[in-house]
Amino acid sequence: MSEEQSVSNNRPIDGVQYKELMNAGLTWLRTNQESVNALNVFPVPDGDTGTNMVLTLQAAYDEISNSSGEGVGILAGKLAHGALMGARGNSGVILSQIWRGFSKGIENCETLKGKCLVEGLKEARDTAYKGVVRPVEGTILTVCKDMAIAGEKCLKDTEDPYEIIRIVTDAAKVSVDHTPELLDVLKEAGVVDAGGKGLMHIFEGMVRFMDGEPLDIEPVHVQPLSVIGQQEALSSAEPGQDYEVIVDFQPDQPLVLENYYEDLEKIGTSIQVGEGDGIYRMHIHVPTEKRYEPIDYTMTLGTITKVHIENLMIQVDSPAGGKKEEPLKLAKVGPDDVALIAISPGAGFSRIFASLGAAAIVEGGQTMNPSTQEILAAFEDLPTDKIIILPNNKNIMMAAKSAAEVSVKQVEVIPSVTVPQGLAAMLRLIPGQELADVAEDMNSATKEVESGEITTAVRDVEIDGIDVKEGEIISLHNGKLVGSNKSLKEGCLIFLETAKAEDLELITLFHGENISKEDAEEMAEFIQEKYPDQEIELQYGGQPHYQFIFSIE
Amino acid sequence: MSTAIVTDSTSDIPTDLREELGIFQIPVDLTLEDKTFLDGFDLSRNDFYTRLPTLKKLPTTAAPSSGRFQLLYEQIFDNGYSNIISIHAASALSGIYNSARLASQEFKRAINVVDSEQLSLGLGFQVIHAAKLAQQKKPLNEILNAIQTVRDRVYVYALLDTFEYIHRSGRVSWAKARLGSLLNIKPIVELKAGQVLNRGLARARSKGIQYLGESIRNLGTLEYLAVLHTNALETGKRFIEEFSPPEISNPMLVNVTTIIGTHVGPNGIGFAAVVK
Repeated sequence: MSEEQSVSNNRPIDGVQYKELMNAGLTWLRTNQESVNALNVFPVPDGDTGTNMVLTLQAAYDEISNSSGEGVGILAGKLAHGALMGARGNSGVILSQIWRGFSKGIENCETLKGKCLVEGLKEARDTAYKGVVRPVEGTILTVCKDMAIAGEKCLKDTEDPYEIIRIVTDAAKVSVDHTPELLDVLKEAGVVDAGGKGLMHIFEGMVRFMDGEPLDIEPVHVQPLSVIGQQEALSSAEPGQDYEVIVDFQPDQPLVLENYYEDLEKIGTSIQVGEGDGIYRMHIHVPTEKRYEPIDYTMTLGTITKVHIENLMIQVDSPAGGKKEEPLKLAKVGPDDVALIAISPGAGFSRIFASLGAAAIVEGGQTMNPSTQEILAAFEDLPTDKIIILPNNKNIMMAAKSAAEVSVKQVEVIPSVTVPQGLAAMLRLIPGQELADVAEDMNSATKEVESGEITTAVRDVEIDGIDVKEGEIISLHNGKLVGSNKSLKEGCLIFLETAKAEDLELITLFHGENISKEDAEEMAEFIQEKYPDQEIELQYGGQPHYQFIFSIE
Repeated sequence: MSTAIVTDSTSDIPTDLREELGIFQIPVDLTLEDKTFLDGFDLSRNDFYTRLPTLKKLPTTAAPSSGRFQLLYEQIFDNGYSNIISIHAASALSGIYNSARLASQEFKRAINVVDSEQLSLGLGFQVIHAAKLAQQKKPLNEILNAIQTVRDRVYVYALLDTFEYIHRSGRVSWAKARLGSLLNIKPIVELKAGQVLNRGLARARSKGIQYLGESIRNLGTLEYLAVLHTNALETGKRFIEEFSPPEISNPMLVNVTTIIGTHVGPNGIGFAAVVK
């Protein structure tokens, strides 16, 4: 740093200056409040670390805002008292401990000299660590500690308190950036520690004040990397901005965000920039003719590692109502986990089983029975020896059982002979339980649901005293033929009556691939009219041949 | 030689019982859409749960400052008590315990800050039991031991009406992992040692309630029982009629603390029980 930039000539900080510095720290923290809030390890918009720290520091500053002529030792004591009373949230409590320690360290100082300041920082660190039951590194505590160490170290070079504030602020910045290395949850979430960052902002505000820089301008937001993809899913496409472009890059020089945003705004809208681990991610919506511009422009700033371009208009126009067909998200299992395999007769069911925690799906159903070999392969593919399989069809039971016998792994075959039985069993999949216990629970769960299948007869036949003509709609209740009718509606009603739906609570219809969404919705409404007291849920099952599969519970 | 019992508003102890037992209580801060309320004072539980589904941001609960705890402890000592037992919400789930602990360090006199590892009446029953013994002028150590034995015998279960809130809260790993379950499902949870555990899923509400009822029966003879709900008073009343065991004459029925409620959402039902 050059000499003329420095405000001070090794002068101690007096009470008036101390107040100004604290006020600057508070103002700058408030300006950055939302960006600190956004540093939430949980991917939900409810972070409040920034808010809690601002409220705590505000309460602290209120205690000294009207005082005059007092020495820094007394002011720091008042400030600490205000922080203690006004502390909110975990980060606020630790912040109040930091000021409390600081005040203890400089208790006898009339003015703040370099040595005094460092003594305060050391006490701040010690008190902060004691303020937490189980201190965790990679948090505000670490940042506070690194500041104290930097302060202590620099004392041999300078005793100018202003200079020391600069040095410890720089140390805080480095420390904040390092927090993900110390704390896995931060690394996983792609964020730095919010409390640590808040503390850094307070000191950064002091430095900005010393340099005569503004304290109240809204800083450009850099979001945690992980947030970018999420918000992108929520954002709707604006007309004229047909393409979404996402670029991951490593800048060659430190990125000046203000300038970067400004230039991007000339190209498109919905701009977001995220940062994590030295990688930046830029998200933008642009018109068709400009779809390559954000990439070309970003390339001038550094090395591009990844590019994603998507036509948003196609997304909007797709028949599925804007929802992209995402790949199945199957549960990840470790060597000691219980893994669940479901046999699924349709794409919709596969998604439902996956969303309930299935680790593998084997396609198969009434007319497409998977072989023992296929099922066995599914067992062998999983990285665990504890496996539960839901055959979900009586014609697949045998194959599942023989695969279980052949396999060297421990396999439990649940006697689910319909898909609804399989779904009912799935609800009992509780992570961390023993294989045998889960299987036992699942066995009993299969009996707690009424299954219905509605399909079209392919030939004339008489079963169980019911005369079936080819082309008629037949209804099965728990696998047993209960009616043959001319219309789909009657077919559904016969089943619902037989299953005594009026005594139960929830009717779920899964429509097959041969029934459109509109027709399925109409059927759901029709059933709701007939069963006004029951809850009706409509889902896409995607099964072939069967117009509807019912689950009643 | 007298012991004062202190807790916080997440204990859900009904006001009249609290006053009868002379329990001191400190309210937690609730923030809804940037406005802060004192739990139970300027925002009723009923209002909270009515507003919950309309909020864009999940409400947050903040621990009372240690300064507020200090003031309360001072008042208690000024009133002539010789020691304090301060029992609070699970430290794994809330900063209340730590705030109280910090405040206690400012005093040279005996303040025992206890981590209940529970919420709602799971915490409340530990407090009530302690307060009863304090009224009988039992020695401090006996009361502290008794709190521990209640904690070992307490069970808290709940059926959530929707997966939405616990999933949105993102704080419970198993709920976060089941990303966007496609079926409407109702999780059954147990609160144990400061952790929210998954005890299964229900699709029909009646089945889930049946499961809770059976869980009560499986516990055996009870000493205390409270039925907890999030604005589901009628369900709570029916639950008591159907499942309250004969040894419990008049179980409590409480609209549960917002610290749980935020992550449960409206229309949840559950219980806190202490086995004999």
